[in-house]
Amino acid sequence: MSTKNTSTSRLDYNLILILFLLFLASCISIYSAQKSGQYIDKFLIKQLVWYFVGTGIIAVVIHFDSDQLKKLSWYVYGLGISLLLFLIVAPASIAPVINGAKSWFKVPGMGSLQPSEFVKVFIILALARVIVEHHQKYRLKTIQSDFWLMIKMGLITLFPLVLVMQQPDLGTSLVFISIFLGMLFISGVSWRILVPIFSVGTTLVAIIFYFVLWKPEILEKYLGVKEYQFGRIYSWLDPYNYQSTTGFQLTRSLLAIGSGETTGKGYGQREVYLPESHSDFIFSVVGEEFGFIGASILISLFFLLIYQITKIGMETKNDFYTYVCVGVISMITFHVFQNIGMTIGVLPITGIPLPFVSYGGSSLWGNMLAIGLIFSIRFHYKKYMFSTSE
Amino acid sequence: METQKNTKKTLPFRLNILFLIVFICFSILVIKLGTLQIVKGEDFRKEISRTENHIVREPVPRGKIYDRNGRIVVDNDGKNAISYTKAKDTKQDEILEVAKKLSQLIVVKTDKLTERDLKDYWILTRPEEAVAKLTKAELSNKKLESKDLYKLQLERISTADLSKISMKEKQVASIFREMAKGYALTPQIVKNDDVKVDEIARVSENLESLPGVDVFTDWKRMYPNGDTFRSILGNISTDEEGLPANLLDYYLSRDYSRNDRVGKSQIELQYEDVLSGQKAKTEYEVGQSGKIEQSKMISEGKRGKDLVLTIDLELQKKVEEILEKQLVSGKQNGGGPFLDRAFVVMTNPKTGEVLSMSGKKLTFKNGKYEVDDYALGTFTSSYEMGSVVKGATILTGYQTGVIQPNTYLVDEPIQLASTPIKKSWRTMGRINDLEALRRSSNVYMFKTAIRSLGSEYYHMMKIPLNYDAFDTYRYYFNQFGLGVRTGIDLPSEAAGLPGSNSPNFLLDFTIGQYDTYTPMQLAQYVSTIANDGYRAKLQMVKEIREPNLESDLGQIQHSFEPVILNQVDMKDEYIKRVQEGFRQVYQESGGTATSYFGSKPYSDYNLAGKTGTAQSFYYDSEKKKLYVDEPTFNLTLVGYAPFDNPEVAFSVVVPYVKSDKHPINKLIGQDIIKAYFELKEQAPVE
Repeated sequence: MSTKNTSTSRLDYNLILILFLLFLASCISIYSAQKSGQYIDKFLIKQLVWYFVGTGIIAVVIHFDSDQLKKLSWYVYGLGISLLLFLIVAPASIAPVINGAKSWFKVPGMGSLQPSEFVKVFIILALARVIVEHHQKYRLKTIQSDFWLMIKMGLITLFPLVLVMQQPDLGTSLVFISIFLGMLFISGVSWRILVPIFSVGTTLVAIIFYFVLWKPEILEKYLGVKEYQFGRIYSWLDPYNYQSTTGFQLTRSLLAIGSGETTGKGYGQREVYLPESHSDFIFSVVGEEFGFIGASILISLFFLLIYQITKIGMETKNDFYTYVCVGVISMITFHVFQNIGMTIGVLPITGIPLPFVSYGGSSLWGNMLAIGLIFSIRFHYKKYMFSTSE
Repeated sequence: METQKNTKKTLPFRLNILFLIVFICFSILVIKLGTLQIVKGEDFRKEISRTENHIVREPVPRGKIYDRNGRIVVDNDGKNAISYTKAKDTKQDEILEVAKKLSQLIVVKTDKLTERDLKDYWILTRPEEAVAKLTKAELSNKKLESKDLYKLQLERISTADLSKISMKEKQVASIFREMAKGYALTPQIVKNDDVKVDEIARVSENLESLPGVDVFTDWKRMYPNGDTFRSILGNISTDEEGLPANLLDYYLSRDYSRNDRVGKSQIELQYEDVLSGQKAKTEYEVGQSGKIEQSKMISEGKRGKDLVLTIDLELQKKVEEILEKQLVSGKQNGGGPFLDRAFVVMTNPKTGEVLSMSGKKLTFKNGKYEVDDYALGTFTSSYEMGSVVKGATILTGYQTGVIQPNTYLVDEPIQLASTPIKKSWRTMGRINDLEALRRSSNVYMFKTAIRSLGSEYYHMMKIPLNYDAFDTYRYYFNQFGLGVRTGIDLPSEAAGLPGSNSPNFLLDFTIGQYDTYTPMQLAQYVSTIANDGYRAKLQMVKEIREPNLESDLGQIQHSFEPVILNQVDMKDEYIKRVQEGFRQVYQESGGTATSYFGSKPYSDYNLAGKTGTAQSFYYDSEKKKLYVDEPTFNLTLVGYAPFDNPEVAFSVVVPYVKSDKHPINKLIGQDIIKAYFELKEQAPVE
């Protein structure tokens, strides 16, 4: 048995294969997107570099076991919060305002670095640790202890959430919230708390939607929100009426994907001009060039990825690992669902990238960091199993 | 009360639920994708292949203008130019991209760049720094719209910021400025000055990668004869000005683009339709991708047609010289303080063709007199013309039956009850109609007028209150073109100013001392008499020619035949009688023009016509002052030659001369008629 206990055998080859396929999808679609002649940058070459570095990140992270990760979690969480704080005070020379948001650090040689992409993972680690420690402390679960756990988790999420929202970066804020919700769900908090919370939350969202759609003047009167700020929602529901303004991207994206039909137009045969097609709207490239078949394969890849992580989360006997897995699942699922959803009109447009596929260093590294944690789980839980069996 | 053990069990359960949720989410995506791509895919596919057709009109060179003998008057200087046409939804950064590429191929002047242009460019090219110009509070302030923010950015860009724009970038900014300012689907000139051949070559080679950019031949108006006749030719707008604001709708409804150069005045305006030509029309099929799918030439476009003027350029030059010379010398030799202008119009009386039209105006600038062109004054300014109109008065007398050919009347000082004594320049005694014309008797006209009013002159008589007489006189005068538009093909012709209908003034009217007429009208009047009572429409343009690639004239597309506006409503013999009177003015002893035209070479030309003098008062339009204490004289002269087969008629008008004895009108008359016949001998016309 111990002969199998080599470092290679502890690598999750399924995960590696899925990642490699996503990497291919990324390269293929970015190369096609950059050919639209809209930009001068060589996105593909840079993306290859980001992937190379990202692999390095996995190689490092894989060596940390659960104890080390638990210990580190508060430090990295603190580091993330400080980076986000520093963004606020940093001068424009270090943290310029791009597209109206102050979310990036200028990094010589690389371009820009977005700390919030890493903070997602730090939140996952911190939440996982809090849940584990909570359960160790309160062996007997009561409603009170569950509430207390929920408050602790809420606070951990709240700090970075506030910092990110003021940048302002709605997309990332929503990612934080979905990580929180996913991990709250799995944390073992009683249904008696969860059911009311989720139903109240859903009702609230429904009510807000009702007002946005039918009574915007009331929101304007009592909350001071202007009608035009709901443009995102209006243009999502009725893109063709807002085609010249906020609905432009959605109508173009629908046109691109829809016209791809079942089999697509073929590689490099795109017809619809779409801004940001290399980053947030990369899915429209896939949809247009490879059609329903290609797009479905890409969605399936993500599903397999989630499945694989879920499986790992199930198999591990270490609760901390399970929580980390759920955090990563929540994060990736939200990213994928939100990103693809917005390109096909299921959700309003929010500027978040498609994990592993969209162009962008920070986003990729954040995701590689998260997937690095999963690799490390596989890498270490076998060893743990062996050690107990001995 | 659950235990830790229970938690252990709930974990995989909830993980399964979570996985189920993930599965549902992904299923939603796939289902939506399926409806989008498989169910509705065909609709989207159709929408993509739906194209829009846009028609781009490319300007063509304007027609040229020639004189009656085929000498070039207005030419086009062809020059290479680079243009840019943007599509309807071309974005600023796309234009900038093309501008960047173009800046590597051509060199442009950057002196037109304003600070604002540079600031716009700065914001466009440095978006991050531009946003940094705004505070967080401003960015999140909901009340500030994007245009307010832009304004703030503009204000905060310092000269230090602008100084970071390199010379190379200024080139880009300059090109961008020209490219961005135009309207969609309207070619915009990016560079047309001093375009080098290698620039054209480089741009032509790279047209594929420069969407919207084109190379074509632009043109510029050229006037090889300098200022001669310049003011009548008129002006066209520059492409900066584009369509004149007051004619915007007119031109836009006629397929013009806003930056088209069009005629703004005179001949260029009058014949805009002819000169402008047909634009090349290309239809572009633009797909949903914004790319041009295919283009189809609808019409090739045709350079504007050429005009052949009735003007004889050589004669025109001579006449202008004569006017200038006589005006200056007249001024120096007793012309008086108010003499400042003189006009000559020469026509072919049979066809109405204007052979020459000149006006000169003296202005006192910087201590000396300068002569400016005032040819426009020949049809836009009017004056009391004096005795030249007596031919029309006599004819009206005949036609209304108050006098007959050879009626004798006594030229004596006339004393009416209400006015000072009226008389001729000298008392002539008993004279007939011919003598009255020859010697220019005022009293003969007065007595004719009194008869028209229904009475006969007697000492201290009161003018009979007959208001119809004026209408009768004006009715006949109008038939000669006096007091009505001559029909000349130039915009804004004046008709002259009629006075009131009061019978008291009819006497003044009959000697040209009441209504005012333009020099052009005067020329038409004498032409009508010379042409046996047929009033020909005055014409500036003789022919319209098809554009020709070579420099010589193309085929005649349209030839303007003489248009007879009316035949004077009078017996032939009456007109012959006045013609004879006019002949005597120039050729018989005692004629008012004989002393200047009775000897060679003028006697050879067989002239007929009439002199004129009218008292006038100078009106200074700048000071808005009428000098009533210092009366002046409008000296005029009309004539035609040869008497028996007239080929040229002319009017000379010199207003505001100090003395009625001044010979300036006759000196000008001498020179121009001599010039006409000399030129005719040198190069026989047609």
